[in-house]
Amino acid sequence: MLNWGNFSSQLFNGLVSGALLALISAGLTIIYGTLGVLNLAHGALFMLGGYAGFVAYQSTGSFVVAVVVGAVFVGLVGVILERVLIRFFYERPEEDQILVTFGLGIVLVEVVRAVFGSLTQNVPAPAWAAGVTSLGFMIYPTYRLLVFGIVAVALAALYLLLYRTRLGMVVRAGIEDPTMVDALGINIQRTFMIVFGIGAMAAGFAGIVNAPIISITPNVGDDILIECFVVVVIGGVGSFAGAIVGGVVAGEILSLTSMFNPSYSAVMLFAVMALVLVARPQGLFGTR
Amino acid sequence: MVGRSLPGWLVAAILAAVLVVAPFVLPTIGANADMLSRILIWGIFGLGFDLIFGYTGLLSFGQSAFYGSGGFLAAYLLVSGKIGDVFLGLAVGTVGGALVGLVIGALALRRTGIYLAMITVAFGEMFFFLENSPLSAWTGGENGLPNVPKPAIHLGPIDFAFNTDWRMYGFIAAIYFLGFILARRIVNSPFGHILTAIRDNAPRARAVGHAVQRYKLAVFVIAAAYAGLAGGLEGVLQGYMAPDAFTFDTSGQLVMQTIIGGPATLFGPLIGAAVWLYLRSILQVVGFGPAWKLVLGLVFVVLIVFLRHGIVGGILQFAGRRTTPEAIPTSSGAQGLHLVERVAERPATRGDVVLEARGVGKRYGGIIANSDISFAVAEGEIRGIIGPNGAGKSTFFKMLTGEILPTAGRIFLFGKDITGNDVTAISQQGLSKSYQINQLFQKLTVRQNLNISALSRTRGKFRLDLIRHVDEVPELNADVAETLRLLSLTERADAPVSELAYGEKRRLEIGLALGTGPRILLLDEPLAGMSPQERADTVKLLKQIARGRTLVIVEHDMDALFGMADRITVFNEGHILAEGTPAEIQANPGVQEAYLGGVHAA
Amino acid sequence: MTQYMKQGGGLTRRSALLSGAGMLGASMLPPLSRMAFAADYPPLGNFPDGASGSSVFVGIDVPLTGTYADAGADEQKGIELAIEHLNSGDPLIKNISPKTSKGVLGKQVTSGVADEQAKAAIAVQNATQFITDNKAMVVIGSVSSATAVALNHLAQDKKVLYLPGISGSNDTTGKDCTRYSFRACHYAYSASAAIAPVLLSALGKDRKAAYLTPDYTYGHTVYDSMTKFTEAGGWKTVTNQLAPLGAPDYSAFLLNIANSGADVLVNIGFGNDAVNSIKQAKQFGLLDKMTLVMPYLSPFLAKQVTPELMQGVYGTTEFWWTYGDKDPIAKQFVDAFQKKNGYNPEWGAHAGYLQIALWANAVETAGTFYPPEVIKAYENGEHIKNSTLGDIWWRAADHQLVRPVFVVKGKKQADMKGPDDYYDIVDVIPGEGLMQAPDAFGCKLGDPT
Repeated sequence: MLNWGNFSSQLFNGLVSGALLALISAGLTIIYGTLGVLNLAHGALFMLGGYAGFVAYQSTGSFVVAVVVGAVFVGLVGVILERVLIRFFYERPEEDQILVTFGLGIVLVEVVRAVFGSLTQNVPAPAWAAGVTSLGFMIYPTYRLLVFGIVAVALAALYLLLYRTRLGMVVRAGIEDPTMVDALGINIQRTFMIVFGIGAMAAGFAGIVNAPIISITPNVGDDILIECFVVVVIGGVGSFAGAIVGGVVAGEILSLTSMFNPSYSAVMLFAVMALVLVARPQGLFGTR
Repeated sequence: MVGRSLPGWLVAAILAAVLVVAPFVLPTIGANADMLSRILIWGIFGLGFDLIFGYTGLLSFGQSAFYGSGGFLAAYLLVSGKIGDVFLGLAVGTVGGALVGLVIGALALRRTGIYLAMITVAFGEMFFFLENSPLSAWTGGENGLPNVPKPAIHLGPIDFAFNTDWRMYGFIAAIYFLGFILARRIVNSPFGHILTAIRDNAPRARAVGHAVQRYKLAVFVIAAAYAGLAGGLEGVLQGYMAPDAFTFDTSGQLVMQTIIGGPATLFGPLIGAAVWLYLRSILQVVGFGPAWKLVLGLVFVVLIVFLRHGIVGGILQFAGRRTTPEAIPTSSGAQGLHLVERVAERPATRGDVVLEARGVGKRYGGIIANSDISFAVAEGEIRGIIGPNGAGKSTFFKMLTGEILPTAGRIFLFGKDITGNDVTAISQQGLSKSYQINQLFQKLTVRQNLNISALSRTRGKFRLDLIRHVDEVPELNADVAETLRLLSLTERADAPVSELAYGEKRRLEIGLALGTGPRILLLDEPLAGMSPQERADTVKLLKQIARGRTLVIVEHDMDALFGMADRITVFNEGHILAEGTPAEIQANPGVQEAYLGGVHAA
Repeated sequence: MTQYMKQGGGLTRRSALLSGAGMLGASMLPPLSRMAFAADYPPLGNFPDGASGSSVFVGIDVPLTGTYADAGADEQKGIELAIEHLNSGDPLIKNISPKTSKGVLGKQVTSGVADEQAKAAIAVQNATQFITDNKAMVVIGSVSSATAVALNHLAQDKKVLYLPGISGSNDTTGKDCTRYSFRACHYAYSASAAIAPVLLSALGKDRKAAYLTPDYTYGHTVYDSMTKFTEAGGWKTVTNQLAPLGAPDYSAFLLNIANSGADVLVNIGFGNDAVNSIKQAKQFGLLDKMTLVMPYLSPFLAKQVTPELMQGVYGTTEFWWTYGDKDPIAKQFVDAFQKKNGYNPEWGAHAGYLQIALWANAVETAGTFYPPEVIKAYENGEHIKNSTLGDIWWRAADHQLVRPVFVVKGKKQADMKGPDDYYDIVDVIPGEGLMQAPDAFGCKLGDPT
């Protein structure tokens, strides 16, 4: 017999964790959609955001500062990486792009390990968001509600950026036909740099926002990256809407499966991904 | 490919020598039997991976799924006593790995490039979780399976157990040696050549008649078999099968080692493993401790950026050898018949309709690219197609070759309905196309390009001929020599495509389509971008090719086309405007209007 | 039984040793060892190669990266302190190994460390390298039971002693026990047997317990043992949430627990899993509704989740440094460690120190490094009365040390007298009454030769 109270709380929980996943995946999918680069360093950027925020928190004691620093720092790192390394790979085969970002991810993780050690670091939730909130049908950590709100806002901001600004239009055109955009005299190089920076910033932002929930270690991004892949495959590569829907779906799968058999929740996620691959290989919203 | 410049037996001899000498030399620099054995196991794992990644261009980040499956299957059977003989256990593990590869490959290979990489990661992880929990009764969960026995031979008087470190090394080295020889044969086989074509330009490989998906799946299964064998060997070497076999780290390490050593060299993964394992050990001893992975990560990134061919590839380039496949030496004295004549031998009744489109149309949402095309070409005819840009000629061609599905109407080839057939099937049935924009195999030589076409003609769309050498394909060399002569490319036979002049590339483009032995040849703007002299030469070529074949040519150079064609079809705005002899078309006012916007009586 | 054969038979070996370098080595040995050689033991494992010089090698195989890195590093420091004490003949270690004068059987102890990255295969690789290259006479170290179990079997295979550091699964001296390994730390069964009565008396008999269990054998064995003892005392087990090892997000499991009606949360997580799950439990308000119990405390946990969350939490540990206030020998250990490393030792360090000391004691008692004799010395049932834990002895049937278990309770932050003062020691319960029958978990020790 299904415990409805539990079911509804798991449903809600899946939504919240899915939203976070959606944000991280949105960054990944924007980068892929625009630049055609699958950024395997995305998990490491997520981790880097957590550490940058941690350092900021240690020196200022302010959570808000930590979040801003975390996001901006990783955004800058993204821009630098794009300028210094990634842009030389646009002309190279896809596999080379995957490999270089993979190597980059490892280097970033190991550098952080060399500097901070392997111990977990603690970033507490801000005092004004600690504790629990009663939602009627369940009690839920206030901070997670806050995260949900923040993520929703961030996703909305990204959406506005993509669909309501000139930059966004260029980005979307660049997704369709970068050569044409370049031929039109638009500085596609600068656009790529900005897009990579934004994608990275999304990951870094997610990293510091998530830090009070999950302790940060150098390897915290590894599992997140793999979950992002599943999200992107389910939702469709290059699709912003796909990242959101895919993220929520993934979050729900993990939550709801745990009601019945927690040890299967990860397997279930991959099984659904395999199913999507069989039935609709381009993903729910994908066009390629 | 390394070693194509060296004869096979020499490479094998060198390898054997290295494997025999290593135990005496390498321990002095700190490499013990256990490390050497592990390097070899990674080498075996990497032989399979190099086949799919180095040679076929499939980047899989999930090989650990097969490594672990094979390893745990072998370990489970041996530990539980269901199989007593370690050799048999390893064999079963290898087959097990291959079967898992078949299942995952069938799903994952539907996608390419980035998707494939992501999907393989996810499958690898799925297997890790399966091993850890639901199947833990068999796999030991996170404890793994201890007490895996060592191999032994009990045959009559021989009672030999591989129970010392160096004996195990010998055992694994022997397996590596055999695995290497097999991999090398695969690389040099027709099958292997098609793999490199797939890596280079998969759509063209498909278009010249190879069932690309089957080749990909076949090589994926082979790689999975190598992985399963390697996994089983790890269990036997350690006496313990660890769950780490299934982790993403394992897959990632394989990829990194192959890049470091050099992909498409077969040796690369072995060298990469040696570098990795040795450096890790040395760095820890020296006191670098946890930073070893940082060092290796940096090495990896640097190599990807600057030395894409890895250590072995870099050495080869430095030594002046190409890392692209070397040429097959021609046998002197063409044995085969002239291509042209051979085709003419096919029974043909001149005048039969060989290619027909009835009411064919194509719409994309609201845009109508082709509407109601009725088109018939007779055997032996040279048909020209002209029309302004955007008239729908290329779209029509793509429907004929099977690249695009018509939204209306039907297409018949030799009287058979081929509507909806894919490009490979249609190519095998005798229709092929030369592309408007060159679709060559860029990294191969001219001769190798033509081989790819010829191989589909002599072997059909799929053949699992892994063992025989490509030289042994009957008449291949002769056919290709003939085609080279026809194309006037004989002197350029061993030049890589990147070194060809534009005109030469266009001729090769025609040659690729020709090499499949088609009865009907479609040519999409064969003269595009050519100088007047080149045009004249190409027209001569086309007239030669036309003997015994049916040609359909789209062209803008009307002088050339009208001089060649028997009949001309005029396309305009997606439908057929007119059809007739060149003279008729020239005089047709509707055609003039379409091209020039109207010619008024002056 | 496969012999780890390196060279030929005994006689050839002895004659080889008596010539050349062997002569030099043998002449440097104190009379005791020469007597041991005279006893004519055949070669086995790394004997006598690893013991023929003026030093013996100890291989330290611990995780220095990954989930258990902090515990691994701590363990390493405890082991290295013990080695230092052996080499200098420090009086502290002579309490545990009275026959020690300097070194072990007069030989200096050298060591090397390798990072097993919490991966069993790497642990095996490292250990193999220690055994082959360094001729290690003993390999020590573990945090995860998976690596301990793997190394147990390797030890038996290679005929080299192996000493787990931290290993909580019942299997390590249960179905995966081997003749060549000896476990000194407490484990699922003894921990549960120790804590259950304390819980029953402190929290009452009529409780509903929810379990958060990491889904691998360590987790399963702790669950089995804890439920056995608590249910016998009247508790009801309402749910068992199996979380995959390394799961970052426990929200789904915690929600299930929140909705289960339980009022006690038994958290079996270890390392990072414990840190994450406790932090998130706090965020979900569970720690305000339920009492948290940690039947097998992870080192450095209180430091990482902050003492505020550990306040009032009952747990067991192998050692707690404030025991130095009660036991002078324990105090010597704590002080020596604090002096060398700048912080108070966690229990991995203590377990490591103890294992080395006990090994030295066994070797000195045997008078030789020949493994079967050392194993016999371990198995002779002799009590070590003056250890850092008081009276301890080895149980021959399953190679588990009979030793007390510490039951601790988290202190209020305000009551902490110093930076490491996280716990009150509620009780130090003697080991004898806490252990299962030796064959209860299927232990079948292998052959010593």
